[in-house]
Amino acid sequence: MPEMKKIRNCELRLIRQDITDFEIEAFVFYARPDLELGSGFGSAITRRGGPVIKKELDAVGSLSITEAAVTGAGQLKAEYIVHAVGPVFQEERTEEKLHATVLNALKKAEAKGIRRIAFPPMGTGFYGVPLAASRDIMIRAFEAYLSQGGKMEEIVICANDLREYRAFQGMFH
Amino acid sequence: MSDTRAAQSHKAKKLIERMSRKLNRQMAGSLAACVHCGMCTEACHYVLTNPDDPTYAPAYKADRIRKIFKRHFDWTGRVLPWWVGAKTVRTDAELEELKDIVFGKCTNCRRCSINCPMGVDYATFNRMARGLLVSVGIMPEGVAVVSKDQWEIGNQMGVLKEEYIDTLEWMSEELSGDMGDPNAVIPIDKMDADIVYSINPREVKYDPRTIADAAKIFYLAGENWTMPSEGWDMTNFGLFSGDDDLGGAVALRLYEKVSELRGRKLVISECGHGYRSTRCEGPNWAAHTVPFEMESSVNTMLRYIKEGRIKVDKTRNDVPVTFHDSCNNARSCGLFEEPRELLNLVVTDFREMVPNRSENYCCTGGGGAMSMSEYTPRRLKSARVKADQLKATGAKIVVTSCHNCVDGLTDLIRHYKLGMDVTQLVNLVANAVVVPEKIAVEKPAESEKPAAVAVEHSLEAFKILVVDDEDDIRLYYTVLLEDNGAKVIQASDGDEALKLAKSEKPDLITLDLNMPGKDGGQVFEQLRKDPELAEIKVCIITGRPELRRLIYDRPVPPPEGFLDKPVDDHALLLNIRKILEVG
Repeated sequence: MPEMKKIRNCELRLIRQDITDFEIEAFVFYARPDLELGSGFGSAITRRGGPVIKKELDAVGSLSITEAAVTGAGQLKAEYIVHAVGPVFQEERTEEKLHATVLNALKKAEAKGIRRIAFPPMGTGFYGVPLAASRDIMIRAFEAYLSQGGKMEEIVICANDLREYRAFQGMFH
Repeated sequence: MSDTRAAQSHKAKKLIERMSRKLNRQMAGSLAACVHCGMCTEACHYVLTNPDDPTYAPAYKADRIRKIFKRHFDWTGRVLPWWVGAKTVRTDAELEELKDIVFGKCTNCRRCSINCPMGVDYATFNRMARGLLVSVGIMPEGVAVVSKDQWEIGNQMGVLKEEYIDTLEWMSEELSGDMGDPNAVIPIDKMDADIVYSINPREVKYDPRTIADAAKIFYLAGENWTMPSEGWDMTNFGLFSGDDDLGGAVALRLYEKVSELRGRKLVISECGHGYRSTRCEGPNWAAHTVPFEMESSVNTMLRYIKEGRIKVDKTRNDVPVTFHDSCNNARSCGLFEEPRELLNLVVTDFREMVPNRSENYCCTGGGGAMSMSEYTPRRLKSARVKADQLKATGAKIVVTSCHNCVDGLTDLIRHYKLGMDVTQLVNLVANAVVVPEKIAVEKPAESEKPAAVAVEHSLEAFKILVVDDEDDIRLYYTVLLEDNGAKVIQASDGDEALKLAKSEKPDLITLDLNMPGKDGGQVFEQLRKDPELAEIKVCIITGRPELRRLIYDRPVPPPEGFLDKPVDDHALLLNIRKILEVG
C-alpha cells in the first residue's frame, strides 16, 4: 500500500516506481554539474525520452551544486524533468547542500507552473547519501518549502526497491 | 616526517574515517599478518608477466593499504610510524595513485590469498580499499558507469525492463517453435515455482542463446520454473567496486523478489561473481536471512541428468574441450568438481588445463577488469599466462561457468591468436540433450557443434557497412557477416564511413567509437542529423563501454544496438539479426 500524508495543502506520497517511467507532471533527476545525463537514470531518460532532452540541456550549459533547471521530458510519461545538482560522495557540507538542492528543485518547478512532482531518494545509492539522512533532509526541505507558501499540490517519492521504500516509510510515521 | 606536515584533503579524511568501520577481524588479521616472505609473488599472473616490476607484487600492493592501516589503527604504527612503515594518505593525488593499484593491478582473483602461509587475504582488503575510494568518488569511469546502472536501473548493463521482457518473450517464442509445443514457454513471475531462475544481464544483451538453452533444459526436465520480471540480475558489481551498500541492495532485490513469488529455490545461471555474490556474500552484505535454497545452474543440470529427467548424447559434443575454473566459483566458493562431472557427461574429449581448480589462473577479466578500458593493455599483457595454459591443452573449445570469464577469455584468445571458441556448460548440455520423439519437431537437424553459428535467418538481403580502425576486427566482422549472406563494405575511419554511407546507403552500420580522426561519436551524430542517412540502423561496437555517454548524450535518437568488445560470433549475429528484424 502506498504511504500518504498531507503537509499543509500538499499531498505527500511514497510509492515503489521507476521514476523515469512514471506518469506525473515532473520528476527530479539528480544531475551532474555538467548536465550530462550519463548512466543509470540518465541512460533511461535518454533512451526512453529521446534526444530532445539533451538538446535543451545543452542550451542550459552547466549548473553549480544546489542549482536546478527544468527541461521538457521528450517521449517520457512525465511532462518535465527538473535537473537538480546535488552533493556527491561525502563532500563537505553535504546535508546543507542537499537541503538547498531539494528546495531549489521545488522552487524551479513551481516557477514553471508545475504542481505535481516526483522525487527519487535524493543523493542515495551511487552518490552515497545514507537513506535515513536523505529521508530526513528531504522531509525538512518539503516542510520548509510548504511553510513558506510553496504551491506544490502533490509530491511523490519514487522508491526504486523495497529497501528504499522501507527507509522512506519513516517520513509517514 | 612529511606525514604530519601537509594538510589532509577532505577525501583522505573521509577515506580514513570509513576505513575504521570496515576493519573486521578478518581484515585486521590480514593487514597485520604479512611477513613479506614472497610466497604470494609467484602466485600472481601480473607478477609472472611483469617480472621486472615489483609494484605488481601482492605484498607491495598490500603495503600501500597496510601503511594507512598501521598509521591509524595499529598501535605500533601510531607510536613508531617510522619503524613499521606506517604512513597516512594526505592528498587526492595519493588517492589516485592508490586507485591505479587497487583497480588496475589486481583482479581480486585470490590466487595469492590461497598461497599465503600467513593466511593474508590480500584480495579482501584490496576490495575494501576499492570501496573506500568509491565512497569518496575516486574510481575508473567504467566502474562509475556500471555501478550507477546497477544502482538505478537494477542491472549492471543498463538493460531497461521493457528490453528484458522483450528478450524473454523472443526466446520464449523460439522455444515454442523449436519444441513444437505452444506450452513450451518462459514463465514470467509465476507464483510458487520450484525454481526461480536468475541471469546475468550480459545474457540479455549479448547472448540470449544461453537463456533459450536454459529454458529448453527446464522445459525438457518438466521443471516448475519461472523468471522474475524485476530483481532478476544475479550479478553484483558491489563485489568488484567494493561498495558493500551496492552489494547488499542488489542481493536484497533478488532475495525479496524470490520471496514475493514464493519461489522454493533460486537457481543462479553460470556466472562466477554472480554465484559468489548471491549465494555466499549477499546475505552478509544485505544482513538478510535467505529463506530459500540457492544453487548454481551447474548443479541443477547435473541433477537433471543423474535423476534421468533429461537424457543427453555426449557424441554431439565431440570436439576437444578444456575447462576454465572461474576464480569466484572455484577459489572462493569451492564449485569445481560439479562442472567437471557434468562436462564428462556431455562431451567426449575433456582435457584438464594445468593448474586447475582453486589453483587455476584468472581469465584476467575478473574483478570488473572488463569495464576498465584504461587498463586493457596491462590486462592483455598479464593474460599471457592464461594463453599459455589454454594453448597447452590442445583443446578447440574452452568451457567456463562464468560470463566475465567468457569475455576475458574471448578477448585474450583473439589477442594471442589461439583460434579457440569459448562456451558455457548450458550450451553444451542444450546441444547434447535428447528431445523425446513426442515433442520433437520435424525440422532440419540442429547444428552439430555448439560453437558453430547457425546459418538460418540469412542476411542475404542486407548491405552492412563495417567501420573500425583495426584491420583484424574489420576482417573478422566482414567474414562472419559475408558467411551469413550479407553484402559487406568496410571503412577504417570516420570520414570514409560517412562517404560510404552516402554513396552505398547500407541497411546497417557497425560503428567503432575510438578511431583516429573523426571518432565514432561524431560520425554517429552526423549520420543521425543527415535526413538522407538518419534512418540507417547503427550498432555501436566499442572496447570502451564507458564511452557510452558520448553516444547517448548526443542530441539525436539513440543507436539501435550497442555492444562491448570483445564480441563473439553469436552475440554479433544475434544482435544484428535482431536490429534488422531477421528471423
